[in-house]
Amino acid sequence: MIPAAFEYVRPDSVEQALAELADPDAKAIAGGHSLLPLMKLRLARPSLLVDLDGLDLRGVSVDGDTIRLGALTTYDELLSLDVSVPLPAALRDCANAVGDLQVRNAGTVGGGLAHADPASDFAAGAIAVGATLVLQSPAGTREVAAADFFVGPFTTLLKQQELLVELRVPVRGERSAYVSFDDPASGYPLAGAAVCGDAVGLTGVAAHPLAAPDVLDELGLDDYRRHLVTVAIDRARGAAR
Amino acid sequence: MSIAEQPARAAGVRRRRLDAAEKTTGRASYAADAAYRGLLHARPVLSLEAHARILSIDGSAALEVTGVRAVLTADDLGIVGGSGRKAEPLARTEVVFAGQPVALVVADSEAIAEDGAELVFVEYEPLPAVVDLEQAILPGAALARIERSADEADVAMHGEAGAGQDDEGTERVSGNVIDIVSYAEGDTEQTFAECAAVVEGRFRTSWIHQSYLEPQAAVAWPEGDGGVAVRSSTQATFWTRSDLARVYGLPIPKVRVEAATLGGGFGGKFGVIEPLVVGAALALSRPVRLVFTRSEDFVSASPGPGLVIDLKVGARADGTLAALEGRVLADSGAFSDSSPVGFAGGKLGGAYSFQAWSVRTYGVRTNRPGAGAYRAPLATPTAFAIESLVDELARRLDVDPIELRLRNVPAAGDLRVDGIAWQATGLRETLEAVREHPLWQRRDDLPENEGIGLASGLFPGGRMGASAMCRLDSDGGVTVVSGYVDMSGTDTGVAAIAAEIVGVPLDSVRVVSGDTSEAPQAGVSGGSMVTYCLGSAVALAAADAREQILRYAAQQLEVDQADLEIVNGLVRVVGAPQRELSVAAIGSRLTGFGTSYPPVEGHGTAVPPDLAPSAAAALVRVRVDRDTGRVELLDWVAAQDCGRALNPALVEGQMHGGAVQSIGYALYEELVHDEDGQPLNGSFLTYAIPRIDAVPEIQTLIVEVPAPYGPLGAKGIGESAIVPGAAAISNAIRSATGARLHELPMTPDRVWRSLR
Repeated sequence: MIPAAFEYVRPDSVEQALAELADPDAKAIAGGHSLLPLMKLRLARPSLLVDLDGLDLRGVSVDGDTIRLGALTTYDELLSLDVSVPLPAALRDCANAVGDLQVRNAGTVGGGLAHADPASDFAAGAIAVGATLVLQSPAGTREVAAADFFVGPFTTLLKQQELLVELRVPVRGERSAYVSFDDPASGYPLAGAAVCGDAVGLTGVAAHPLAAPDVLDELGLDDYRRHLVTVAIDRARGAAR
Repeated sequence: MSIAEQPARAAGVRRRRLDAAEKTTGRASYAADAAYRGLLHARPVLSLEAHARILSIDGSAALEVTGVRAVLTADDLGIVGGSGRKAEPLARTEVVFAGQPVALVVADSEAIAEDGAELVFVEYEPLPAVVDLEQAILPGAALARIERSADEADVAMHGEAGAGQDDEGTERVSGNVIDIVSYAEGDTEQTFAECAAVVEGRFRTSWIHQSYLEPQAAVAWPEGDGGVAVRSSTQATFWTRSDLARVYGLPIPKVRVEAATLGGGFGGKFGVIEPLVVGAALALSRPVRLVFTRSEDFVSASPGPGLVIDLKVGARADGTLAALEGRVLADSGAFSDSSPVGFAGGKLGGAYSFQAWSVRTYGVRTNRPGAGAYRAPLATPTAFAIESLVDELARRLDVDPIELRLRNVPAAGDLRVDGIAWQATGLRETLEAVREHPLWQRRDDLPENEGIGLASGLFPGGRMGASAMCRLDSDGGVTVVSGYVDMSGTDTGVAAIAAEIVGVPLDSVRVVSGDTSEAPQAGVSGGSMVTYCLGSAVALAAADAREQILRYAAQQLEVDQADLEIVNGLVRVVGAPQRELSVAAIGSRLTGFGTSYPPVEGHGTAVPPDLAPSAAAALVRVRVDRDTGRVELLDWVAAQDCGRALNPALVEGQMHGGAVQSIGYALYEELVHDEDGQPLNGSFLTYAIPRIDAVPEIQTLIVEVPAPYGPLGAKGIGESAIVPGAAAISNAIRSATGARLHELPMTPDRVWRSLR
């Protein structure tokens, strides 16, 4: 439970952070609640940790019919938002489902998405509400749909020298909710479903969080997990508000 | 007597634990905490194979890491004797479970040792892994171990016959069967034929880790006299001393074992880690510390074993349990010294007696870690089987489940399945206590998918000889000295015994545990034996001290000793309370310069002449989500016979803890090895234990049926608390849904499948 040796830097700007990430063995760290356990098990062994804590990527603002979430916004900050912010209920449910109070105090919405755990709660919500992710690299910024962001276990579209800097959540006024059935040990969902209008985001059931329930038969789930997904979707629809 | 003159009671009073402050403020010193000059740190290299020959171990790269002092293998440890796992702290030529230590890297810091451990390369020749119990016992099955240790008796080809049993002769089984125990009485075939209802089932229970808060930890150092000392997270200093002396060929006085504050044991801390650090300290002549990580503890320690239980029970029309037939396959894991068979057979009949029975239990060696004890060893899984079937019998016969159990309370002199005569157990009293509870009264008036379940449980208890000393100090305080490790507040319990018997306030009693070189002889902290056995010795030591105090006071007060009493720390003349002498003054006088009277030091040595079994009952209400198979616990009522509650707060703590651990058994806990013997869930990220939000409010009903030989009537209470819970939950699920579960833990997928 002792990480392999590593170097550590704490840059002040996104540009500096991206420059540090030029080292192919460097890894960005935000809240650290996903990365540090892997490092303690030596399953992740970055030679350089680039701490994003000093970057100005916090805060939530409403811009017309879009809510902009800074990537370093913690789950707890999200849950503490003023009720005047029309945050979809599904995102609130997802943030609430993450870890425990300590994790929600330190864990960040951007860090969790970039880590891309196949059973990320928040990813299901981001997909269901149709969030757009803003990625910044030395070449500039690009926008991708949350549903397209995840490509495999712990793998996303992010390049080595690229950071997720913002989430843009459209305000459509659709009813939404998230329901998950959790592994009793890890607390991660065995099956989690976020719904928003007709859209569905699933987590815990495949190599990465994904959209649309019509892929269910292709996931190779056993009969119980297959059934559990449908129960989660049904109950999320019932809980949508 | 006025109220003011009532003697202050020490026993039976709800009091805070003696160690509450040091534990809650973090000052308690556990085995990993103390500092040592010149300390080296060890990290183990664990086998990645479940069963393999070791072809080579290459530590050269590790030795090149700056700060790595040694890479030790079995050959470096200088082992000369012993048996089982203790004699093989590092695998010799054959690894027998995944997670078995094969080398130990010792370095200047734990981080350096970890870096070194990554660079130790072990070459294996894989052998077939034995994990399935049914296949393992078949003649010709692959063997879980090929190399045999010299002392190992080969019982494989002949069952060890119990007294009075109709042994059918030699049974053909594989060499993986290391132990067979049978018990039989009467004509089971005939008795089953006479029964009005017969039920049977195959029950499977899981390997389960004790999940103590503190992982196993030990520090060993060479001593100036050529011996070795070890301070560790142990439940048994004297046993560990004997084991270490045998394994390393040292005379007993050259081995000193010291118990650190124990951060939970539950049966898992009996000499797993000490042989490793002692070997390293002897080899390097330096203090060496090893603290298991949580994952190492999961894969490499001594968890409780899984069982396959075939059980058949028959009852007469009036509800009398008449016949019992059982077969148990008990997974011993990889070591011959860890066969759990001895624990299993006698418990198959639960808390009841039968007219005829026949049970046969097999200890089966597999490529899993050596089986250890877990709180009430095998009583919980066997209760799951028998209490499930008793519940079914009540349904078949349409008899109230409590009434059926009450009709089968053993009478004194009735025999247990293992042929031992029953002692009074408190079974009747615990059942009557829950019968009166409002929850039981409303069992037929529940919403859909809710159910109430009941089960009894029993732990027969153990006994071992114990000694204690009870000393009056210069400040008037009473110090109890023992060689026992405080486990779950036992020191606070024996302090109440000493205070009550001497006649001093509880606050003036302290309890210290000495190491093996200085402490009175002690048994193990386990088997519900500490309060029962050490308490008996403390009672005698305290009576001895009291006698010495009274003798001195009689002389000083110039009265007959028989006219004296000790109340709340004052020696008084009965009927003339103005003539008194404080115990504190006596302590001061008898320890001063030039005293002409010997100091007060009481001694007690005892072994209770018989066991003191403790019965418990659990009554639970559940709600089952039929769509997901999830079981929600809504209410929990625990009744337990404790003989006498020396400190009701401690008794309730044991009942709460037992209930919670039984919830783990019932719904969550299962160490899984795949078909290749690879552990699949060696961390709390993957091995589930109950969280507090899954635990309902636990109502406790303390029942007191005094133990004839217990100190102040007390019994050991640690173990029966865990026994009935899993069966009660299963019976509640049956009541809620109609489904009868046969496998622990009753995870949502298993419950869901049983409902389809």
